[in-house]
Parts: sequence; C-alpha cells; structure tokens
Amino acid sequence: MPLESLPSDLVSFDDQDGAVHLKVDDGLYPLEAVYAAAYVFIDRCYVLLDKPASGQTRVTLSAKKGTLAGDAARELVGEFSNELLSCAWRSQIARENRATIEAVTAQALSGARGAPSLEELEAFDFSDDAFEDPLGIAMSWEEKYAKKKGDPKATAPTPNDEAATSSVTKPEAGK
Amino acid sequence: MNLLQIRKPSTTFALPFKHRAIGKEKVLISNTEGSFLLLSHEEFRLFAEGTVPRGSEYWKRLAERNFIRGEENRDAMASQLRARKGFLSYGPNLHIVVVTLRCNETCVYCHASRANMDQVQTDMTKEIAEQTVDKILQTTNPHVTLEFQGGEPLVAFEVVKHIIDYALKQNEKAQKQLEFTMVSNLSLMDEEKVAYLVGKKVQICTSIDGPEHIHDKQRRLPQASAHQKATHWIKRINEEYARIGLDPTLYHVEALLTTTREALPQWKEIVDTYVSLGCKALFLRPVDPFGFADKTGHRIEYPRAEYMTFYRDAVDYMLELNKQGVQILERFAAIFLTKILGGEDPNFLDIRSPCGAGIGQIAYNYDGKIFTCDEGRMLHEMGDSTFLIGEVGETSYRELMGHETVRALAIASNLDAQPDCVNCTYQAYCGVCPVHNHKSQGTIFGRMRESTLCAVHKGIQDYLFEKLGSGDPAVVDIFKKWTTVRDRTHFLQSCAV
Repeated sequence: MPLESLPSDLVSFDDQDGAVHLKVDDGLYPLEAVYAAAYVFIDRCYVLLDKPASGQTRVTLSAKKGTLAGDAARELVGEFSNELLSCAWRSQIARENRATIEAVTAQALSGARGAPSLEELEAFDFSDDAFEDPLGIAMSWEEKYAKKKGDPKATAPTPNDEAATSSVTKPEAGK
Repeated sequence: MNLLQIRKPSTTFALPFKHRAIGKEKVLISNTEGSFLLLSHEEFRLFAEGTVPRGSEYWKRLAERNFIRGEENRDAMASQLRARKGFLSYGPNLHIVVVTLRCNETCVYCHASRANMDQVQTDMTKEIAEQTVDKILQTTNPHVTLEFQGGEPLVAFEVVKHIIDYALKQNEKAQKQLEFTMVSNLSLMDEEKVAYLVGKKVQICTSIDGPEHIHDKQRRLPQASAHQKATHWIKRINEEYARIGLDPTLYHVEALLTTTREALPQWKEIVDTYVSLGCKALFLRPVDPFGFADKTGHRIEYPRAEYMTFYRDAVDYMLELNKQGVQILERFAAIFLTKILGGEDPNFLDIRSPCGAGIGQIAYNYDGKIFTCDEGRMLHEMGDSTFLIGEVGETSYRELMGHETVRALAIASNLDAQPDCVNCTYQAYCGVCPVHNHKSQGTIFGRMRESTLCAVHKGIQDYLFEKLGSGDPAVVDIFKKWTTVRDRTHFLQSCAV
C-alpha cells in the first residue's frame, strides 16, 4: 500500500510484514551513499538491500520488535530518504574538498599528537618484517633469484630474462 | 533578493563567496577566510553582475576584503586563515575531570546522570586522580585548563584538593600554563572551602536557571532553596575576590543558564537575576538531549523557533541595559562576534571546525575512563560508549590522539565536508557537534537542516548580522566590547597571587 504524500512507484508499505520498501535509482545515488545511509538505521530497524532490477536498489526497512505502523513507516522512510540525500551529497563534497579536508585533519591530529617520545620510538617496529610480502615485491633481485641450496633448477636470470622483468605478475617465475 | 533576480550574473568578477539574505533589506556576503560585507540589494546586484565601478568607494570595500578576482591579497588571506585555525597546532587544552558522580541536587535536565549521595563507589580514587593528572600534563598544548565537574565536585572535595596539590607538583616539571576551574552548585560550600579555592586560584562557575521560583523547581535541593544557597555563595566569593584586591569587573563567579520550556517567557527576569548577582556574562544555553533531559524532554523541551524568540528578546534587553551603562554580555553572541568582528577563533570547543572532541578537550570519568569530550561521557552514562577512547592507566597520550574515534570526529566535524555547512554563509564562524548528531540523528555527520543545534547557531548569527546591519552605532560599539577578551592572569598558576 502507498504511504501518504510519498510517490507510490518508489515507496510502498507492506502492513502484513510491517516493512517499508524504497526503490533507489542507481543513477541518482551512488552505492556508497546507499550503504552509508543504510548503516545509520541498523540500530533502529532491520535493513535489507537487494537489486530487483538493473539500475535500481531496493531498501527494505522493518521493525526489530513488533510491527511498523503506517505513520511510523512514513517517518522512517522519510528520514531514510533525507539521510540518503545527505550521504550522496557528502560523498561528492568529500571528493571535491579532499585536499582541504585532509590538510586540516592532518594538521589537527599531528598538532594534537606531537612528536613521539624516545620510549615510543624505541617501541616502533623498524624491522624488514613489518608487513607480509607474498609476491616478493619488496625483495631485491638478488634475494629473489639467488640459487637455493639443493635446488639445481633455480638459476639467477639475466636482466633481459622475461621472467625477471615480470616477476610481480608471474610469481611462479624462478621456481 | 536572490541570485535568480540577477539578470546577468558574472562568472569572472567575484572570488568565491557565499551569500544570505539578512532581514528584508540586506544581503550578507562572506568568503573562506571569514571576511564579510553587508550589502544593500542594489550593491549586491552590482557585485553579482560584476558592474561595480572600478575605483569607487564600494570597489575598495570589496577589494579590501578579498571579494574581487584579480585584486586579492593572498598574504592577507593566508594570514586570516592562520588566525582562524591557530588551534589546529595544539592538542587538548580543556581537561574535564569528573571527581564523583554523586550530587546532592536533583535537576530535571541533569546532563551528567548524577548518582545518589550514597553511591560512594563513584568517587575517584587518589590513584586514578594521579594517573589522570599525569595524562593531562602530556598534552602538546602549553595551556592547560583542568576543570572539576561531577556530579557535584564539592561532594568529593578531598579528591579535588589532592588533584590540585598533585598537579601543581607535577607541573613544576611539565611547565604548563595551568588553570583550575570548578563547576559547582555551591550548596555544599563553606568558608573553609572558599578560603582554599580562592587561595589556590580556582575559578568557580555555577548554574543559575533564573529567578528563585524557576531555579528551585528545576534544581531540587532537599529541605533548602538551591537558589538561595547558590546566590549566597556567589556574593560571598565575589567579596573574597574584592578583599584580595582583584578587579570585580574581571574576577567574579561565572554562572550558566540551562534554558527549559518554563524559562522561555521569563527572559527579562532571567537577565535581571544575573545582573543583580553581579554577573557580567549570561550564557543562554538551550537544553541538550543528554542525561535525564532525554527522559524529561516532553516536559522541558521546546521548538527552537521559540528558543530564538526568547534569545532575541533577552539579548535585545541586554543591549538596552548596556546602553544604560550596565555591563552584561551574552556568551553565544560574544563567541560568534569574536570570530565575525575580531577575525580570531576564541577556541570555544563546541563551535569550531573541526570541533574540539579529543583534539581540543578530553573528559576523564571518576573510574579512569577517558572520553573525547564531556558530551561523550554523558552518553556513556546513558549506556552508549561510542566516545570512549581509553583508560588513564592503560592508554598512552599518543594512542588517545590517534584513536579512530578521534580521527572520525575530526573529519565529521570539518565543515568543509558537511552538506549545507559547505555552502553556508556562516561557515567561517560556525561549528557542529558530532556527539549531538549521534544522539539526536544516529550519525556523527548529522543532517544540519534537521539539527536543533544548527537552527540555534544559524538563528543567533542571523540575529547578530541583523543588528550589525541595523545601522545603530551604539549596538556595534557594544558588540565590539563583547569581543574584547581580558585575560584573567590571576588564575594562571605560574603568576604570583
């Protein structure tokens, strides 16, 4: 059933299930905005997203306890729509003002944190094992292609060797 | 007047600006660095169409404030921006310490979620008190204000004294510009405590909700009048300041109002009460949705349009009193006017961009838990610990400042990232509260068009610009006086008594 003053082709209310459905045009609202708006409501209701048709996302909001009455459903979907618009616009503003936002945030946080103390510097992990490197990107050419003990097939390729120049995309090379 | 009425808007004449109608006769324009001009509709048309006569007095006014493309003074723009964002270079200066949740008064709106007097487990221990002071003195800010709150801090006066003594000792090494303030209902004050607090240069702030009948109805003190207690000690402490030779216009007990529905029609009585108590400032704060106010909202809340009528009536009356020689200022107005007329940010942590959560203030609870701000701590007492960022004995200072919640709040309260604010004429002077947004709208970003806080901030700035544009030189003079910050150096611990 439709909800008062809301377009019936976009918003519908299922009084049997106590759920309200809202169709969102993907061309108007980016998916990140739909996620952001949906997340704001997860403490108030159950939120389900699906794609009933190409170019369209459907949002279903249903009560966590009891049922959703008509007025409450209208208020909920209205508030969701406002939040969705806010998230979509914020997403665009964040892209456009990224440099300013990052500069202010970096200045604010670095100003507040200050320089690390000697004890904190001592606790920093400066070892080469700070991150995982499954593709061997951070390894030197010599380390990666050095002859391994007991592996007669492993040979260090010449710089012209195709395997050496494409080691990132071909991790098996040199095996 | 709006841009649609401009026949041929110029896309090359003006530097980026925002505009807003002020009353029926003026248009306000402002820019990124916070310069502004109040224009007549005809002046605005010339400006928007780019047909201002070159070299005219009007041209010079626009050019001086960096509104004309090609005439900009980039050094001046950079300098103005630096002045407005100076607070970004330092960490938190306001450190709120809740020494106990216990309180002997019961307020209808209690934001702090006070505990009964027998709940002694909500008193801060000496060990946590010392760890808290150690944490506070690690801030990168050279200025530190340590504010005692509760509950009622006089209930745990021994903890207060221990913190003061310990902080003074530790500050011999830390060398901060240290100040102590205490927010108290004053009902447990006595001569011994006054002597100690005045002797230790502790600034004292209290709550006065207006005339006695409103105050006592909202702030219940068993078998006594909370108003009579508070006003007695305000006068007594002010006498003590005068006795030791301090200027009474600068050194006096500060008081704060929490505006409830019942207070709205009583704006004149409220102002008169403050003036009669010798207060020089009145902060017309609306009620917040924290603590008991969340439950009693149906009795004490009101539409913000009604609050704005109250605000306008009260400040109009204060301006009239000022014209008669009475010194009384409204605190919200003074904060905004310092930014608007003074070109500086007074670092009021709730109205700046980004807000002061974490990076400007920290709240320490009685049990050692640390929050981004007092509002975050208030929510914790309501069962929502979103803004909990650590514990005094466990979390390092740099971990606190780098906490993901602190980072998120710095981004969420940056007006350059906020819909509506990004296009708002008041952006350079304003600020948002992510904790208020979280509580009232379920998102730290908030939706400003639906925010009661935004309605108040915009409404107050509309009022101030209407007054500035009214052409009354006496009002402009009074407003300029309200922006004058006279440092109360006596309260700095490094200064001699």
